[in-house]
Amino acid sequence: MTDTRIPTEIPRAPASVRRNRTLMLIGAGLMAVLFVVAVVTMDLPTWRRFMSGLERNFMPLMRGLVNPETEIFGLAWNAMVETFFMAILGTALGAVLAFPLSFFASGNLLGGTRWALPGKAVLVAIRTFPELVLAIIFVAAAGPGPTAGIMAMGIHSIGYLGKVFSDVVEGIDQGPMEAIRAAGGNQLQTFLYAVVPQVLPEFASHVLYRFEINLRAATVLGMVGAGGIGLPLIQRLQFRRWDEVSMLLLVIVGVIIVVDAVSSRVRSRLV
Amino acid sequence: MAGRIRGAITVALLAAIFIIAFRQTGFSFGALWSGTEDFFRFFGRLVPDWTALPQIWPKLVETIQIAYVATIVGTLIGLPLIFLASANTTINGVTLWVSRTILTILRSIPDLLWAALFVAILGLGSLPGVVALTFFTIGVLAKLGSETVEAADPGPLEALRAAGAGRNRTIIFAVVPQVAATMVSYILYVFEINVRASVVIGLVGAGGIGQLLNTYLSFFDYPGVAALIIVIFGVVLLIDGFSVWARSKLI
Amino acid sequence: MTHIQFNDVEVVYKTGLKALKGVTLEVPRGQFTVIVGLSGAGKSTLIRTVNSLVVPTKGSVVVDGVDVTAARGAELRRARSDIGMIFQTFNLVKRSSVLRNVLSGRLGDLPAWKGVLSAFPREDIAYAHECLARVGIPEKAFVRADALSGGQQQRVGIARALAQKPTVMLADEPVASLDPPTSRAVMNDLRRIAREDGITTLVNLHFIDMAREYADRIIGMRDGHVVFDGTPDEATDSAFEDIYGRPLEQKDLRGA
Repeated sequence: MTDTRIPTEIPRAPASVRRNRTLMLIGAGLMAVLFVVAVVTMDLPTWRRFMSGLERNFMPLMRGLVNPETEIFGLAWNAMVETFFMAILGTALGAVLAFPLSFFASGNLLGGTRWALPGKAVLVAIRTFPELVLAIIFVAAAGPGPTAGIMAMGIHSIGYLGKVFSDVVEGIDQGPMEAIRAAGGNQLQTFLYAVVPQVLPEFASHVLYRFEINLRAATVLGMVGAGGIGLPLIQRLQFRRWDEVSMLLLVIVGVIIVVDAVSSRVRSRLV
Repeated sequence: MAGRIRGAITVALLAAIFIIAFRQTGFSFGALWSGTEDFFRFFGRLVPDWTALPQIWPKLVETIQIAYVATIVGTLIGLPLIFLASANTTINGVTLWVSRTILTILRSIPDLLWAALFVAILGLGSLPGVVALTFFTIGVLAKLGSETVEAADPGPLEALRAAGAGRNRTIIFAVVPQVAATMVSYILYVFEINVRASVVIGLVGAGGIGQLLNTYLSFFDYPGVAALIIVIFGVVLLIDGFSVWARSKLI
Repeated sequence: MTHIQFNDVEVVYKTGLKALKGVTLEVPRGQFTVIVGLSGAGKSTLIRTVNSLVVPTKGSVVVDGVDVTAARGAELRRARSDIGMIFQTFNLVKRSSVLRNVLSGRLGDLPAWKGVLSAFPREDIAYAHECLARVGIPEKAFVRADALSGGQQQRVGIARALAQKPTVMLADEPVASLDPPTSRAVMNDLRRIAREDGITTLVNLHFIDMAREYADRIIGMRDGHVVFDGTPDEATDSAFEDIYGRPLEQKDLRGA
């Protein structure tokens, strides 16, 4: 059915809609301009230098990638195992320390959000500190090795775990707490019987998630000397031994994928 | 009864893991204690050297630039991938599987590792940093994005299919309006992560403030390091705050 | 002349469930047909074979000479763009404006790139406003879809289908989520528009009184078969009991 009528006048959109549209367009335009400015002012290599670097390294890289050097599998595996356990200890350290700290950042336990502010501020401060910098400090202070990495991860994890723990605590059902208080329980009993059982499964889930992230972090901390597979990896990268890099990468990615999968499964059963 | 047994096995397993962990890494509570001591002693010696600020400032700008460019490029490339990796908007089973696999691999490589990799390929400077974080962004964004897309209301999708719209048009009209707000919040989150990452990738030569850190460390210029750390702290705090604020405005 | 032809259509789902068992029907142009039956009788499935949202495992459906069952890709989309559909749950894009929802009906007729860029020609935008006017809510054009009442949302659904300039309209339980007075109003609109534009319409309803009131023809389904095919006059209470396989109940009537 063809429509041969001349289009009648189209109603204009109301002012608020037009205003939103213009605002979005301006916003997008601004971002585009910033983008161009950023690209132009960065010191990016000239096209020729970029292409020659690419040429020099790309083919060997590709060749190396598809021929992982199986000889160093043993080394790679051992290093990854060390990395894995570093992450475990780092996460555990963080979790153990974050557990009590989080209660000092939970408004509903302290009697009001404002009492929780100093606790929350401390957690933010810890979180903001880049983990790698922490690792460097620990290596400088206590010497290289996995211990430095574990401590760096532990401290950094307190920041995150403390925050999510306190979020969980603040989100719990107040009911059981009131019930126990009404039945005459003191602070400690209220805590143990009303708070802890509710938060434990979610805590565990967050700890597992943090472990996934820490595992990734642990693989790179070695680059500054804090133990794990990072050191052998960066050495081979610097010498461009692509076939060995490939083997190391395979082990890393493989372990991470498996850990992620297992962790997701367990987490979905927990919550 | 079964619950108790399962509980006991879990505890035993965890204990075993921890014992192995301690052996493997040489960690011990003694090490923890002395490490903490060393840490505080070390920290006491750090008096920031503020004359280093003129050096620090341009590198700081470069750091943010790297994060910004990588986030935008990564988003532009990642967006179509999100739709290919979501069961309700993909083309066919093969595309779905291939995209998901690619994204899983991209996501499993830590950001610093990407940086080290690209420095080895492309040389030193900001370019490898941007490229590295771009790949990283694609991986992280696509996973978050595809979860949201797959959770979208299928009704409007069915309606548009019934009206004869092709796949791309259906996505734009039926899916994008539903997920837009959440996606912007994810992009802000990724920008935040990218700023943190670009702060440190300089350590492996990928540009930004991390390179300065490397320089100061190799010259044992600890006061410079201290000043740097404080600046870094401030910047990350600001960006985090901005990101949290902006995201709260979206919900 | 025959507009829609069902040729021995059989639908077996992957679970093994036989939703349709050999349905053969001819629907002439412009007829307003109501399909009745209990849930699971096959009404939804039958309707969806017309625009191939459900593809028959045997047999075919021919709409206006085009075998929609065999159609794929661009051909299928072209066929679908002439077939409008409204849903029980409205299926509007909640966060988009009413106008945008209605315009999305034009997507089937637009070249792909224009649709992607939302570059609707002026005539299309004007037509979308007209469709809204025809269902009685022109002033709601720029309001967010989820800010409307149920009845209004369904009207937007009808406007969207109208925007396609369809020759066929499919309605899957269009008023089941609405209260009685609103259902009547929406059905009135649907019927009026179908009459005005000569659109061949298939509507799924499970309310007996509404079926009798609005249909030119009533098709009763039970267990994947057509067990009744006649005029509203012929659809007596006992005929319905036959279709339902049980005595009639209060809930089978829409009421006032």
